[in-house]
Amino acid sequence: MLFIALFPATLGKISPYYNTVLILVGIYVILAVSLDLLIGFAGQISVGHAAFFALGAYTSGILTAKHGIAPPIALLCGLFVSGLVAWGIGRAVLRLKGYYLAMATLGLNAVIVKLITGFASLTGGASGLLNIPPFRIFGLTLQDHTYYYYFVWGIVILVMTCCLALAKSPFGSTLIAIHSDEEAASTLGIDCPKYKLHVFVISSMLAGVAGSLFAHFMGFIAPDDFDIFTSILILVMLFLGGVGTIYGAALGAAFLKLLPEVTYRFQTYELFFHGLILILVLIFMPKGLLGILTNVKNWLLGSKYLSNPSSLGTDP
Amino acid sequence: MHDEANRYNRVHEKHLLQVDHVSKSFSGLTALLDVSFGIERGHIKALIGPNGAGKTTLLNVISGILSPDSGHVYYREKDLTRLKPHEIAAQGLSRTFQLVRLFTANNAKVLDNLMIGAHLKLKPSFVKSFFLRGAVHHQDNVVRETAYQMLRLVGLERVVVDYSPSSLPFGNQRLLEIARALMSEPEMLLLDEPASGLNDAEVEGFKQLLLTIKKKGITILLVEHNMKLVMDVADEIVVLNFGRKLAEGNCKEISSNQQVIEAYLGSDYINLAGGNLSG
Amino acid sequence: MIDLSVLLQFLFSGITLGSVYALIAISLVIVYNVSRVLCFAQGEFFVFGALTMITLTALGIPMWVGFILTIIIVSGLGMVIERLLIRPVQNSSVGMVITMTIAISLCLRGLGLLIWGREAHTLPAFTKSKALAIFGAYLSVQVLWITAAAAIVLLVIWLFFEKTLLGLSMRACAENRLGASLVGISVWKATLFAWAWGAALGALAGIVIAPLIFVRYISGTMPMLKGFTAMAIGGLTTVGSVTAGLLLGIMEAYTVGLISSEFADAIVFSVLILVLLGRSYGILGKTEDGGM
Repeated sequence: MLFIALFPATLGKISPYYNTVLILVGIYVILAVSLDLLIGFAGQISVGHAAFFALGAYTSGILTAKHGIAPPIALLCGLFVSGLVAWGIGRAVLRLKGYYLAMATLGLNAVIVKLITGFASLTGGASGLLNIPPFRIFGLTLQDHTYYYYFVWGIVILVMTCCLALAKSPFGSTLIAIHSDEEAASTLGIDCPKYKLHVFVISSMLAGVAGSLFAHFMGFIAPDDFDIFTSILILVMLFLGGVGTIYGAALGAAFLKLLPEVTYRFQTYELFFHGLILILVLIFMPKGLLGILTNVKNWLLGSKYLSNPSSLGTDP
Repeated sequence: MHDEANRYNRVHEKHLLQVDHVSKSFSGLTALLDVSFGIERGHIKALIGPNGAGKTTLLNVISGILSPDSGHVYYREKDLTRLKPHEIAAQGLSRTFQLVRLFTANNAKVLDNLMIGAHLKLKPSFVKSFFLRGAVHHQDNVVRETAYQMLRLVGLERVVVDYSPSSLPFGNQRLLEIARALMSEPEMLLLDEPASGLNDAEVEGFKQLLLTIKKKGITILLVEHNMKLVMDVADEIVVLNFGRKLAEGNCKEISSNQQVIEAYLGSDYINLAGGNLSG
Repeated sequence: MIDLSVLLQFLFSGITLGSVYALIAISLVIVYNVSRVLCFAQGEFFVFGALTMITLTALGIPMWVGFILTIIIVSGLGMVIERLLIRPVQNSSVGMVITMTIAISLCLRGLGLLIWGREAHTLPAFTKSKALAIFGAYLSVQVLWITAAAAIVLLVIWLFFEKTLLGLSMRACAENRLGASLVGISVWKATLFAWAWGAALGALAGIVIAPLIFVRYISGTMPMLKGFTAMAIGGLTTVGSVTAGLLLGIMEAYTVGLISSEFADAIVFSVLILVLLGRSYGILGKTEDGGM
């Protein structure tokens, strides 16, 4: 956790361009981390996370741009809308397992994006929603990217702390039980559908928060920002960084968002490399980047930190 | 007279668990047919029968994983038949499985399995884990202590709790599963062939464990193939064959029951008091 | 209010779309039934089939040759993918397998971008003849090719799976993998060829519709999702997939024509979700467990 605290502080001093990038990194960290709770801990494969990203963004965007509502309230509304949709559809959808759940969530994402595009009078349709004001809180307009950067990363740290706390708590253990073996878990008294719904709602609400932050940052949002390719991107970030560890998700998000900065010349190769890296990770390093870093750390620190003789890879 | 007999079958005060005319079939294949019996509080009842007799199916019906086509399951005179597994567990029934099902996702360790076993005691929730951290922490410590006690009870005190359950030898995995099932302080334990795959020494130790659990006042329904173990610990035995109840009674009655002997081995006579009848 | 020719036109579009969805659905069904893996990259086989055919034709190779070559190339691709990438994760958890197929799909899409760029490409029609006019609606001859292709494919599939040894062994695997291997059937061979079939059918779907649409490197995703919808409705069988695919295509065509294309897609995917949910409640037939 210290690591996290130091990180943004040092980077705050860097030039405004990097602030922009890092704000996006922060937003995607929230997305990846919230998805980790759902996939990494509870084992529910969702390929439609961007749907809730969209709900949060559009709710915030519409309320602030068209109705002049204060951004913090709009953010809460976005959170609420995402949570509500997740609650409404979650019970039924989470009855599905494996491929069917993945497909259903993909379908959900597609439906929501198509609906957003379709109701153009409300959402600006395919051409997008314009004129979203920057975030205004306590009278302060966070126009300057530096201020917004601190704000966003403040929220990121808050979100990560929450997720880590949840993961280590009995609630998190319950999710792990559900992930391992739902039937066995139920014989221990665990109401699986209830817990799956809860984590789904929490995860979706966090995605909604990310959406609001995104909307105010960009000033302009379009349905294309939230399609299934975005969901897949978040999924890749999660697995790349190391699924089921929260830190891994953050790492993956940061890595994939910062990578284009280094390789911008090879932009056309980006998509291919995303797929290739993921394939390599899945086959050779299922624990992801975090796993690699942990192994390096163990190697450097010697046998005192020998990993558990039977440590299993984090099975998604 | 007929009515009285029915009422006797249905609700007998001393019976903690009452299986009442339970039938279950799968796509035309009859797994259970009109099975009825009861278990007295504090007793160990063994459920035996040749392979395929429907024993595991019956356990699945009792624990709520399956719904019977007809019939009822009563626990403390409450009808459990249509309840979900977690609701049945909340009533005080805990179980183990024929093929050990320990939690291993996300690097879950031995201790994690035990802590999860205490779910009914901890009642975790998002709200609690988030807002009432202090209380949760305290509860956690209490449960952790209980977990260590439980390991001592089943004889696993020398196991390093930070290891993965799959690193344990098979016999110990079974013991861990039992320990996990006991964490919720159940009133009744359903065990599905817990001694299979154990060697003679382990079975002896296991026998002692069962008696210790019984001394704590926990009622046990034991599905087993190891006849020596059954004869040594069971207060009563019920025999299933092809989904039907073949016989019910104490050890002496069952071991001399001609039908039971035939069911296991055709018409060859064997001494049921010794030896293993599996396979 | 709306005259017959317009409605008929929608019908023709619907049959066109439907045949493509049916083909994709069948390819998914074959791969899933035999290898228990749902290939998210199916859309990419579709795209690769179309684009390879387009490239070969542009190079001056006669269409018949190009067709055969494309099928061979893409099936080969499918087999390579199965051997190298699916085999290692075959027995991992479903999450791993899903993610792997998503990764493969990303890779192939990226590859498609590198090879063919961002532009849209199209293929000249198989036969240069004027569209047929039926009751005022225009039926492009290509549509006849598409339906003919679908029908031939069904026949070939039936022959293959009923009559050939490989086909029968694949069906055995679909029913009971362990049992099949115990009686000496080569499961790995069956799986390999299942993927070959899957890729080939996907490519075929892409080839036959290429003259009617513009194909880009990302054109595969929607057809794949809709093919999956057809599969879900049809219940993991060949016959079911064909019927469902056609119905789905027709429904989509009418919705596009009468309402709007966005809502048409929204409706199609809502149908997908509803069908999946319906199955989980046991409404539309046997409950499937989604491969776990």
